[in-house]
Amino acid sequence: MERFKVNFQVNGEPVELDVRPSETLLETLRDRLELTGAKEGCGLGACGSCTVLLDGLPTRSCIVLTAEVDGSEVTTIEGLAEGEKLDPVQESFMEKGAVQCGFCTPGMILTARSLLDRNPRPTREDIIRSISSNVCRCTGYKKIVEAVEAVSSTETPET
Amino acid sequence: MIASKFEFRSPKDVEEAVRLYREFEGEAVYLSGGTDLVPRMKLGLEKPKVVIDLKRIASLTTVEDQGDWIRIGALARIFDLKQNDIVRGEFPALEASLEGTSCESLQMRGTIGGNLLQNSRCLFYNQSEFWRRSKGFCLKMGGESCNAVPGAKTCFANYCSDNATALCTLSAEIELSGPDGTRRVNLEGLYSNKAERPFEIQPGEILTAIFLPKMRSVGGYEKLRVRGAIDYPLLGVAFSFVDGTGKLAVGAVGPRPYVVEIKQPFRDTVGEAVETVLKQVKPVGNTVLDPDYRKQMIPVLAGRLVNKVMEGAK
Ligand SMILES: Cc1cc2nc3c(=O)[nH]c(=O)nc-3n(C[C@H](O)[C@H](O)[C@H](O)COP(=O)(O)OP(=O)(O)OC[C@H]3O[C@@H](n4cnc5c(N)ncnc54)[C@H](O)[C@@H]3O)c2cc1C
Ligand code: FES
Ligand code: FES
Repeated sequence: MERFKVNFQVNGEPVELDVRPSETLLETLRDRLELTGAKEGCGLGACGSCTVLLDGLPTRSCIVLTAEVDGSEVTTIEGLAEGEKLDPVQESFMEKGAVQCGFCTPGMILTARSLLDRNPRPTREDIIRSISSNVCRCTGYKKIVEAVEAVSSTETPET
Repeated sequence: MIASKFEFRSPKDVEEAVRLYREFEGEAVYLSGGTDLVPRMKLGLEKPKVVIDLKRIASLTTVEDQGDWIRIGALARIFDLKQNDIVRGEFPALEASLEGTSCESLQMRGTIGGNLLQNSRCLFYNQSEFWRRSKGFCLKMGGESCNAVPGAKTCFANYCSDNATALCTLSAEIELSGPDGTRRVNLEGLYSNKAERPFEIQPGEILTAIFLPKMRSVGGYEKLRVRGAIDYPLLGVAFSFVDGTGKLAVGAVGPRPYVVEIKQPFRDTVGEAVETVLKQVKPVGNTVLDPDYRKQMIPVLAGRLVNKVMEGAK
């Protein structure tokens, strides 16, 4: 069976793998690299629970082939904290109670992180537009929006 | 998991991509963002022997002002395109349809070319192989009759590109490059009017660009869906008014967008235009909404949209 050689970065570490061309990025992350933070919900691109950052942008890893990411940089939820120090978005989700069952949380946090990196002071509308890419069956989104708003005001206080 | 096994290639130019396609004729598929293709492969609706990734072909991603025409590379991503100054300045119907497409993170991956060439959809078709086998194959899977309208010999799948509907109101043309060279046709000429195989496209042809006449328009897009994000359209209505002529297009209720010209004053003629569309469409129970409701929403959305656009234009 044909294999495909890929080189890419995961959470800052170089990775070199021989993959089946039909292997998805989510399978590679979870089954080979033991990064189980990204979750498989629908497996068809509809729910966003498998979201990782691909070259900084939130991407549904269940519908990306690993062969496609050759030369790219992937960040998973495991790569967000620096050692013991959580990312401010993670802190804020805990602080505001934006987590219930937690299944959507890795994808939600990465989607929010990417938005804040591109747009440090998003409006409420910008936040809703971004996180509505991800389905949350528990929270009703309100606390999630509040958590993202809170990070935006502490990371870039109004001058 | 994708059950079928295939090879993966990423050519650097269009010629190499077409050559690869010919090598695997009948068993190759092109890949852009993969947001339509990969779910189809996962459901076993597509079982290629080789996947040819077009994303490394840099010339396919640019947007250029060519004087009389704006050329949009087929691999331009929806998210980038909706923020493009030319699109925002000249083509508000397209800006609105791009904004309404799926959700932000799918817009970041999905391309405009892949959006136009996405396959038609049906509640009885976009299902796992196990599910489909238990029901028996429909026309779109090589079977004898439709599963949405039992016994029917016509396929009723819906072509759900939001952006095709808007682009039809802007008189878009497309460029295709394939084994027999390059051709340019009206976007409306892409459609076969047969939902089981919706496109008039030759094997191996690559959609390379979309051309829009460079004329400032006013316009908009209205989309019917259950949730405000992620969902495909259950009906899409676009309207553009360019250089004295109005065009209305209705999508996601059949195998192609239905396009009609409207004369001014629109208040009096929009009803007629909608009637022309209503005579052609036959929504059936193959989406999550009732077909009669989808049909009744055509005049509602069309009226609302034309009023809104012409109010804004005053
Ligand atoms: C959950 C979900 C929701 C969605 N909602 C919407 C929606 O609301 N509106 C909407 O319009 N779409 C929607 N989509 C479909 C899809 O995301 C978009 O249509 C997207 O723009 C497709 O582009 P792509 O680059 O990912 O296409 P791909 O999946 O790469 O390709 C689509 C098809 O076109 C062929 N192809 C691609 N590029 C070329 C080319 N240049 N030349 C020749 N053939 C080519 C491929 O072989 C494939 O058959 C949704 C998808 C998902 C998973
Ligand atoms: S698991 Fe990937 S989008 Fe649902
Ligand atoms: S917290 Fe349960 S799905 Fe979001």
